[in-house]
Amino acid sequence: MLVSDSKAVRPECPTPFFGIVRSGALVVWLAFGLMAARSQPAPAGETAPHLAINTNVDDPGEPLKDSLTERGSHNFSDMGSWIWDTNTFDRQTVRFWKSFEIPRAATITRARLRITADNEYTLYLDGRELGRDAEWRHLYEYDITSLLKPGKHVLAAEVYNSSREAGFMFGMRLGLADGQVVEVKSDSNWLIVPEGVSGWKNMVEPAGSWRKATVEAAFGSGPWGAMETVNLVPPLQPVITPFWQTGWFVVVLLLVCGIVSLLGLILLTKVLLHNNEQQSLLRERARIARDIHDDLGTRVTQLVLQSEVAQSELPAGSKTRGQLERISEEAREALHAMDEILWAINPRRDTLHEFATFVCGHAQTFLKATSIQCVLDVEPAMSTTAFDLPFRRSLLMAVKEALNNAAKHSEATELLLQIHRRGSGLIVAVQDNGKGFDPAQAKAERNGLHNMHERLNEVGGTCLLTSQPGKGCRIEFYIPFTQMRRRPWWLNWRPGRPAQSQPVQDATRN
Amino acid sequence: MTKPAKTGHPARTSARSPLKIALVEDQPKMRENWSQLINSFPDLSCTCICKTGEEALRMIPEVQPDAVLMDIFLPRMSGIECTARLKELLPQVRIIILTAMNDEELVFMALEAGADGYLLKRTKPADLRAALLDVSSGGAPMTSEIARRVIESFRLKAKTRDESLHLSVREEQILVLLSKGYANKTIADRLEISVDTVCHHLKHVFEKLHVRSRTEAVVRYMASKTPGAG
Repeated sequence: MLVSDSKAVRPECPTPFFGIVRSGALVVWLAFGLMAARSQPAPAGETAPHLAINTNVDDPGEPLKDSLTERGSHNFSDMGSWIWDTNTFDRQTVRFWKSFEIPRAATITRARLRITADNEYTLYLDGRELGRDAEWRHLYEYDITSLLKPGKHVLAAEVYNSSREAGFMFGMRLGLADGQVVEVKSDSNWLIVPEGVSGWKNMVEPAGSWRKATVEAAFGSGPWGAMETVNLVPPLQPVITPFWQTGWFVVVLLLVCGIVSLLGLILLTKVLLHNNEQQSLLRERARIARDIHDDLGTRVTQLVLQSEVAQSELPAGSKTRGQLERISEEAREALHAMDEILWAINPRRDTLHEFATFVCGHAQTFLKATSIQCVLDVEPAMSTTAFDLPFRRSLLMAVKEALNNAAKHSEATELLLQIHRRGSGLIVAVQDNGKGFDPAQAKAERNGLHNMHERLNEVGGTCLLTSQPGKGCRIEFYIPFTQMRRRPWWLNWRPGRPAQSQPVQDATRN
Repeated sequence: MTKPAKTGHPARTSARSPLKIALVEDQPKMRENWSQLINSFPDLSCTCICKTGEEALRMIPEVQPDAVLMDIFLPRMSGIECTARLKELLPQVRIIILTAMNDEELVFMALEAGADGYLLKRTKPADLRAALLDVSSGGAPMTSEIARRVIESFRLKAKTRDESLHLSVREEQILVLLSKGYANKTIADRLEISVDTVCHHLKHVFEKLHVRSRTEAVVRYMASKTPGAG
């Protein structure tokens, strides 16, 4: 038994991950890595070097037998001739190309090919490398039964001649189920592929310029003489491509990547535009606040001062002085109202901290005119958590209502205003030590309780009233922070339509 | 509306010379009205009127007024910066910041810079007088909101400062009660100390606040001004 120095294709592990270091874009890398993996030679069955055995191949139509037979008993009738290019020279590489077709709907029972070359060949079937060897005294036999399907196939061989005589020999016999036999032999119908043609190994149609091969000698003659040794290459298995290496998968993956990147870009642009809008709205709010502050505020203040000066020049108790005093009082009220508007529209006030400050200030000022002592209980770490205009305005209105009720009806001596976080929400409580009432009997509309509920409902909050006759009253307003988080803009977005139908002031703050 | 807490000091007798008040205000009409209003009280006298912060820094040290009314928005040098610089020149001068609209943030900045109190310009003349008298006699007016900000400010910067500038336990107690909205009288009752002691503590708090922020602010101003003529 002879053991040949085989160079059959060794299975290589597809290593699509080699690119990770070099490639920045993971997704693109993945897709291309997979493509690269696809083009790698796939496992070709057994990995051991093939054995050189003399086999009984009397009947190529029958399945190959593993039993050894005497040398020379092979049937070489299906072998072609030694062929080569028109010219022969040392260190020459010739590329042979041949296509063949298996009838449609045919079932291949057996497919075997034998090949050899002086000095070295590499054989490809449909672009896939089947094997290579470099011993012209031996024939190499490949079982490719499982590689072939009906249809057109391309054989390609790259043959290298180191010196002097050069030749390439090939014979293939396919047995079909219906008894038909397809034979492909090396002859002058093989084409020589010129240098510089890329992808020739699986090119289905030859170019017109490719010249034909030249027959050098028939099998068994010429300088090479008779062939006796046949080396069996272990049967080749079809390349089983895992689904992630299949073409459609890569295409789909690339498509998905493309779509995702495109969507990302679109979203990014939208977000930028949206931010821009937000920014310009904030700027506009700030400008209005500044205008009110610098212009209107100053003028009305001036009015107050002017009327105070005028009063000081009039004798106490005069009628005009009283009128002037009313004017300055009215102007002060106007300024107070302006304070509130300023607070509402100034974007710098969109924080919990500012809200707490303002509500406390309001409560204290409001209750100063009454006999109720205002006690504050504000969480110190209110910080700068965002608290958007609609929320703080609704909550402020509700608190005002509650303060109003307390001042009007409670007969309390002390009122506690609490502002705290609770869980993931903000809680504002107004509690008095007044006479209290029975909530079941209170008329909601008249007490403004209905209003409070409405205001809190608008912004997704709740309003809880607890009171008993003689035990004071406590109203708790609660707004969960989750409500404050803006809905993702794209949920609101409709082409050509504003996101919300709220007053202009609030629309984009939502 | 915010005004200095009344500390209950007696009204000045007309026998004593009126308080010298300096006014820093850039708008001519306002200036006129303010000085007229101040002078309408027999125990107050507007002795110095400045149009800008720069002018104030030049004139006020000469006049040595008892109290300064400082507009917060001045051209070029702001009222806050002017306050900080004036306190450097005249540490004993009492400064009240004037604002047209209620803006606690600005007010707190002014207080940090060394102001002793603040008033809205719309304040009634009687309250203005009370505030001026209060502040010039050493009162340390503080509202609940300012008290809260002071506590926060001290807590925020506590670790980077030396011990002498931290709030004492008593000071913090008083500030916390103030921030809850209690009046000085109530606080005094609760802590079983006199109203004067409460005021004394608050004055200390202000001093600490000023010293703390002034060293910081001065360094900042110096850094920004040294390349120029300032």
